[in-house]
Parts: sequence; structure tokens; C-alpha cells
Amino acid sequence: MTALDPFLFLGLPYLALTLLVVGSIWRFRTNRFSYSALSSQFLERRQLLWGSAPWHIGLFIVLVGHLIPLLAPGFWKALVSHPAMLLAIETIGVAAGMMALAGLLVLTARRVFSGPLQRITTVMDLVILGLLILQVALGLAVALNHRWGAQWSVGTLVPYLRGLFTLRPDMELVIALPPLVKLHVVGAFVIIALIPFSRLVHAFSLPVAYLWRPPQKVVWNNPRRWAVQPRSVRELEEGRRLFLRGVGATATAGLLMGVGVADKLVRFFSGPRMEHEEEIAMLRKKLERLEQTAEGRELELERKRKEFIHVAALAELNGSDGKYFIDYEMRPALAFKDGDGLPLLISAKCTHLGCTVAGRVDPQGRILCPCHISYFDIATGRPNPGSPAKAPLPHIGWALLDPSGAVIAQKAPGGPVEGEVTPDRLQGAQVYIAKRFAEEGRA
Amino acid sequence: MRYLCLILLGLLAAGEAWGYQEFQIWVDQQTTRNVNCALCHAHGDGPDGVKPGQIGSLDAEGLRSLEAARQAFEPGAEVESPILNAFGNKIIERLGRTGFINLRTRPEAFPEAYGLETDLDSDGIPDAQEYLDGTLATNPHHGAPLRLLLHNLRVNLGTLLLIGLATLLGLFGINNLLAWFALATADQQPSDAEHDEATHSEGGGSSNSDGTTEAK
Amino acid sequence: MRATQCLRSGIEFLAERFPIEKMNVRSMVQTKTVPVHRMSWAYYMGGLALFFFLIQLTTGLLLLFYYEPTVSDAHASVERITEHISGGALIRNLHTWSASAMILTVQLHMLTTFAMKAFVKPRELTWISGVLLLILTFTFGFTGYLLPWHQIAVNATKVGLQSIEEVGAYLPGAMSEWPGLIKELIQGEPSVGQATLSRFYALHVVLLPLAFFAVLGLHLLSVQLHGMSQGVDRPARRTERFFPFFILKDAWLWGLVFLVLFVLALCLPFEAFFSYPLFEAYDPMGSTPDGIKPEWYFYFIYYPLELLPFWVVMLAQTAAMVVLFAAPWIFKNSSRRTLGILAVAAALYLVVMTLFGQQIYEMFKGGA
Repeated sequence: MTALDPFLFLGLPYLALTLLVVGSIWRFRTNRFSYSALSSQFLERRQLLWGSAPWHIGLFIVLVGHLIPLLAPGFWKALVSHPAMLLAIETIGVAAGMMALAGLLVLTARRVFSGPLQRITTVMDLVILGLLILQVALGLAVALNHRWGAQWSVGTLVPYLRGLFTLRPDMELVIALPPLVKLHVVGAFVIIALIPFSRLVHAFSLPVAYLWRPPQKVVWNNPRRWAVQPRSVRELEEGRRLFLRGVGATATAGLLMGVGVADKLVRFFSGPRMEHEEEIAMLRKKLERLEQTAEGRELELERKRKEFIHVAALAELNGSDGKYFIDYEMRPALAFKDGDGLPLLISAKCTHLGCTVAGRVDPQGRILCPCHISYFDIATGRPNPGSPAKAPLPHIGWALLDPSGAVIAQKAPGGPVEGEVTPDRLQGAQVYIAKRFAEEGRA
Repeated sequence: MRYLCLILLGLLAAGEAWGYQEFQIWVDQQTTRNVNCALCHAHGDGPDGVKPGQIGSLDAEGLRSLEAARQAFEPGAEVESPILNAFGNKIIERLGRTGFINLRTRPEAFPEAYGLETDLDSDGIPDAQEYLDGTLATNPHHGAPLRLLLHNLRVNLGTLLLIGLATLLGLFGINNLLAWFALATADQQPSDAEHDEATHSEGGGSSNSDGTTEAK
Repeated sequence: MRATQCLRSGIEFLAERFPIEKMNVRSMVQTKTVPVHRMSWAYYMGGLALFFFLIQLTTGLLLLFYYEPTVSDAHASVERITEHISGGALIRNLHTWSASAMILTVQLHMLTTFAMKAFVKPRELTWISGVLLLILTFTFGFTGYLLPWHQIAVNATKVGLQSIEEVGAYLPGAMSEWPGLIKELIQGEPSVGQATLSRFYALHVVLLPLAFFAVLGLHLLSVQLHGMSQGVDRPARRTERFFPFFILKDAWLWGLVFLVLFVLALCLPFEAFFSYPLFEAYDPMGSTPDGIKPEWYFYFIYYPLELLPFWVVMLAQTAAMVVLFAAPWIFKNSSRRTLGILAVAAALYLVVMTLFGQQIYEMFKGGA
């Protein structure tokens, strides 16, 4: 806190407001027709358009952004609490500020470099231009250096400024703010104080109604006019208004969309921000799948090389829940225990369109292919009448080996059981599939 | 360790080979959706097997937490059974195993017993409602479409307002540009009616009649 | 002598379809007009389809940054896009919704141009390139469906490819082996696996887009060369200039459609319509979950395949293809009224099969 602060944030605001009110009234009463900006369009047109339009549009947007939080702080707070909205507001604000600054610079250059204009340029014009440039630059610097001003100002600047108008000013709210912000605030008061004494006073005669009032017809009351200029003035004005509205609205829409898309994309490209645990879990998951793939390959190799492939222990099998295994053709298959205590092996690759048949046996002794609802009888392999699958599921030949690896019994699909099967010999027997049967099947 | 594992497997095979299937069957019948064990279990094919999330794949620590979860007969115990997903574990926590097993004969009474308070995937649909809809309570992208839509509309209100505003502005702008072009081109082709200012509407907003020329 | 005659008439044919003297901005953009009549809305369908294609292109490119086309990683990478990458779910959802919307629009575009008899001379090649684009769009859908490598993706692809092999049963002699060979050529291995994923990826991401660009270029060029077709029997009393009016109205529609698409993509995950088990990672050893179906836009061929003998469907499909490609010559002398009725009938078939296919299926198969 410096000694100047009480003056800058308590004295100056009221001084500026007083000057604004008194000065405006004074100027209106003494020199009513100077209540506008002196036109210089006749002297220089092209730069005026490129300076004046961006400046006024940019200024308008920025002012709206400054006024809404002052008039409706609750609404504004709700608005900026949404990250996307906050980002959009800040970006639009900065873009509008830059536009205004660019416009101001063009206007200044025009005042400084254009010969004819020098004659109607007053000192006050130049002072005001300089002040405005400074003020907009300060605003931009605040926006860029102390970001999310739309949010933090709700708790500081907004109550301070509202306090000024309710005559309960609280200087404490602003003196702790960064110097850039304080300068911006002071600059605003200085400019407000100067309004009545400069061309800025034309802000009070702002033709806001222009955008929606019915077109006014300025008649050039001369018959020759229609011959020279068939376009009515009204059409000209109408056209200009349509163009302004069209370009303005589409540009704003484009800007909004651009901000939204940029916001999403920047974060999209910043990549996955995973917790370490999550990342590890994901890597593990991938590893497991890779292992599954490797297992699949291994199974293929095993089937190429081995005469017998292990399916399960006979004791593990039952008649209701099939055990999946992979047959010599690398197709899924199911192993059950038949009524006679011997294995029953059947392909689980649906003969319709190749889905894997589910392993549960229903009360009718059938297994279901869930893809297109075909029921297959596990004893015969035949699908139910009218099912999409037409061909039966083939049975698969099996061999029973005792723990030492000797063949106890075997059965080719459709063939008889070869070998002697007694309960004591089946003790600890393991179910295998045999390459022999697979090759016979293919032949 | 292997020994313990085998004993456990044996116990399971005898006791509850398919988990609590009654709930799955009921949901399957009540809704148009097909559900599998992944509703509450870690693996879609249920707890039995050797795949990840099934009992056969558990290490010593996993088996310990499984055992702990199996002891949670009363409600209130925070369990972390490795064969259950978050919803399954929440069920045990809220109902206790006894409470849950008692519901086996009336799966329709489950939502009431479980309550509407929890929403594990925070998609705006309570877990019990997701059970009734046959959707996954642990996946925020899965839910009854209408409920999900309404919830997400509320959540994304800010973004939607922004894009709505942008679209409105854009459409408004294009309308004005259309009208402007219509005005501009009408000038280029000198029409026989020089003074007919009535042909151009006051508002300039209607665009369907603008920019059109009569075929000769 | 005969050959030169053929060549000359061929060149003449092409010269008439692609008149060099019209290939300038003035003719193709500035002076082009669009008729205004009660069917004018149909002129927007092509532009809309193009818009959805552009969305597909953009979102697809974005997805490409994180998608990994291997059997072990594909599903996990899609999961990562949806769950861990900011905006990933939105972009993926946009891609899915817009894919469906594109297919719908392309079909509508085809039906309306058919009903408006927009394929007659000199627009035969526009029509044929359009049919090619339609086929390419469906192929995009079919190949893209596999990429997430979940249960429904792999099983639906298996079913789709299997139907190629089934054609073999109706071919004589050694030819009966060919469809099987073609299927394995597409798969790259005896069953759907890594090789299939790799080539579907290459197709979906590189080859199909390139082909699409080429045909689309031809399509748009000929549209701009010949202008919009008359569309109705009585020449429209009014016309509208293509540039800037029609194109601005196009943009207007695009803006509105994007809003709807965005709201859907943001608020309604496409997956919410399916049973979840279908979206689990594909497991070659596990059981197939219930409810495997292709995407909705294949229902019009999927349900007939389920209901009717295979050869009937194949015959009908071949006939439909021939009719589509030869439409400019077959329907040369048909009236717009007839064509309109045919288009409405086709649309009705598509709508009924897509919306009520399941009910029809259950009605005839008794839900056995």
C-alpha cells in the first residue's frame, strides 16, 4: 500500500464520476452539437474502416464482458464456474482486446501520417488515443499475466466497483492486487474523467438502435438521382446492415466454435493422464492378452507335433457343464462325461456361422449356439429342426491314457470303443485327443 | 499354497459353481438386454476358471482377500473380493452375504434392499436402477439411453449452451449473409421495376424467397 | 476398324460426360443454378453425406493417434481412448454416430436421386460413381466395426466373412473352392486373427479413404459439370444460384446437423444401446455372448440371410447390384412417378427390416 492508494481508489473514482456527470451536462448545455466525434471520413476513408470497425467491435465486446459481472455478479459467477465457458470467455475477451488494440493503432497511424487529417487533429485527440492504447494494452497484459480474471475478479474488483456505486467503497479489496491490475483500474477512471472533454463523448450518442431500427430513407430530392443511382439509399443501408450482422454473427460463431474445438483438441493431444496404478493395470491387461495370443500359437505348434493332446482328467468331466479345449483343427470343442462314464467330445464351432457353442447342457441334453439360436443334441450332434445350423456338430475321437501314458481305450468318431473299460482301470485316467482321428477325419 | 488352492477349488466346485445365477437369469428375462456375470463379477464367465478375475488365477494375496470377503456375512464390511467387480463388492458391503443369499429366491426384491443411494460409475443412474435396466453399474458409458441422455444433458449444460449459442449465431449470420447476397445480386441484374422497394422484406431475415430469379 | 470405332465412341461418350469446355470456375461454380421445387430438399442430401464424411475423416484421424491395431492391444487402446484421454470418448462417439448418420444419408441420397431420375444422360457416370461410394461407405462400416476387437466385432465379422464362403456351395466344380480362398485372402489366415485385424486396419484407414477420395472427386466433378438435375417433370419455374446461395444454405444445414450430432455424441454413448458383454475384449477360447448382430445398417441383408435360403438372398443381392449399376440404362424410359414408387418401396423395405427385423425373425422362427 502506498500513500497514493486512498486517492487513486477512493478519491479518483468519485472525482472522475463527478467530472463525467458535471462535464457532460456542461458540454450538452453549452455546445450541444459537438456531442459527437468530428467526422474525418471525407479526408481519409480506407484506413478509417480498418481502424474504426475493429476498434468499435472489439471495444463493444470487451465492455460487455466488463459490464455483465458488474450488473449481474451471480449470473456471471455461475457462468464462469464452468471450465469450457470460462475458457471461451477469456479467449473471446483477449481476441476482442487485440482487435481493439489493432484498430486503435491503425487509427493512430492515420492521425499521425495522413496530411489532411493533421489539420483537424486536436491535442486532446492524441492524448485520448494514447490513453486508450495504454488502457487496452494494460487490459491485455492483465488478461495474459493474471489469467482467469473473469473468475478472480468476481471476488475482488466486482465488489469494489459495486461498492463505489452503493457509496460503500472498500479500498481493501483492490490494494492487494498486482500493479498491472491497479494501473488498469486507475486508467479507466482517468479516461472516464476525460470523456466530457474529448471526442469520447460521442459514446453517449451511440446509435445502438441502428442494428434493428427500420431503415431510414434519406431522400436526395432530385429527379436526376434516380437516373444516376438506381439503388435506393435504403437498400444500401439495408445491405450494409445485413452484411455487418452476417459477418459479425458468423465470425463470433466461428470464434466460439474455434475456442471449443481448440480446448478439446489441446487436451486430447496432451495424452492420457493415467494414475500409475491405472497405467500398470492397463499394461498388465495387454500383457495378459499377449500371453493369450502366445498360448494360442503354442497350442498350434503342439498340435502339429504331438500325437496326443491332453484335454482333462476323466474325473473332472461331467454331463452338464462342458469343458472347453482346442481340437487338432484349432477349433473350440467341448468335453463332457457321457452316461456310461466315458468321455464325450464334441466340436463347439457352430456349423452355421462358426460361433462358439456355449458349454451348458439344457434339460433336453442340448447345447446352445447363442449367435443364431441353434440347439445341438450332444449325443447325436444334430441341431434342432428349423434351426439356422443344418449340419450336426461333429464328435471328436478320444483316447484314455493311464498316468504312465499307456492307452487304456480309444474311440474314433462314430466308431466303437476299442479297449477294455473297467472302473478300476479308469481310476486316474486322463482324456486325450489323438492326431490319428483328426487325420482320418480330414481324409 | 497349492494345497490350499486345491481345497478351495474343491469347496467351490461343490458349493457354488456358478455364483448366484438367479439374479442374472432374472435380469435377462426382465430386460431386452443380454447380461452375463460381468454384471457383478470381475470376469464375464463368472468366478470359476483360470482367467484373470477368476478364482484359478488368484495369487496368495488374492485368495486372502477372497477369504475375507467370504466371511462378510453381515452388512457394513468393506470388502475387496478379487473375483467381484465394484458393484459386486458394494452389494456385499451393503447387504452382507447373508442378506444377499436370502434374496436368491426373489431377485426382484434386490433393488429395494440395495437402495437407490449409490451410483458407482456416476453416470446419474443409481446402481439398483442399472440392475433393473440390465446395464452395467460400473461403466459410465452404459445405461438406459434415455436416462443417460437426460443426465448427460444436465452435466454438460455449459458446453451445450456454448455450442448452442455458437450454432444460433452462425445460423443467424448465414441468414443475414443470404439476405445480403440477395440484395447485392438483385442490384447487379437491373430489373425492370426500378422503384419496387416492396419486394425486399423489412426484416431481411426470411431467406427462402431471396436470391432466386425467375427462369426465363 | 471395329476397334477404332469402339475407341472413338468410347471417347465421345467420355467427352460428353466430362466436357472440357465446362471445366472452369465460371461454369462449375459461378453460373451453376439449382432448381427450386417441392423436391429441392433432396439436393441437400449429397452435401450432408459429404459433411458426415468430413467428420469421419477428422475424428478418424484423431483416433488414429491412440489406436493400436494389434490383437492384444486393440481393445485396451480403445478403452484407453474412452476412459483416459480427455475428449476421447466424445471423439470416438462422434465417429460412431456420424458413421451411422453417413450411411443413412448416403442411402437417402441414393433413393432420392433415383426417384428424381437424376441418372439419365449425361449423368450416368455420376450415378455409377455414387453407387461405388455407397459400396465403399458400407465397406468402411464393415471394416471399422472390427477394429475395437471386442466380442461383437470379431464374431460379427466372422459371420459376415463366412457368408462369402457359403457362396461356394452353389458354384460348380473347382470353382466351389474359390469363395473359400477369397475369404482366407481377406482374412489373411484360416480364422479371424491378427492378420485380419491388420488388413482391416489398413483398408479402413488408408486404402478405402484413398479410393473414396478418388471416386468422390469424380462424383463431385461430374455433379458440378452437369449441374443439378431437373428433378421434377415440369421444369422448375424458379432457380437459385449455386454460389453463394445454395452453398450458404448447405452450410446452414451443416451447422444445425452438427449441433444435433454433437449433442448426441456428448450425451448418449452409442454403446448404451447394446448389451455390455458384447463389448468385452474378444476371447478366442471363451464362449460367444448372446445377441451377436452386425451393425443396424446391415440388418436389411442380415435378417433375410437368417430367414431365407442362402441362394435366394445371394440371387436377390446380385440382382440388386446389377440393377443399381445399370439403372441409367434400365430405367431410361421410366417415368418419375414409377421411379418414385420404386424408391418408396425400397425405403419401406429398409425401414421395416431395420426397425422390425427382430420381430419378423421371431415371428417366422418362433423364437426357437
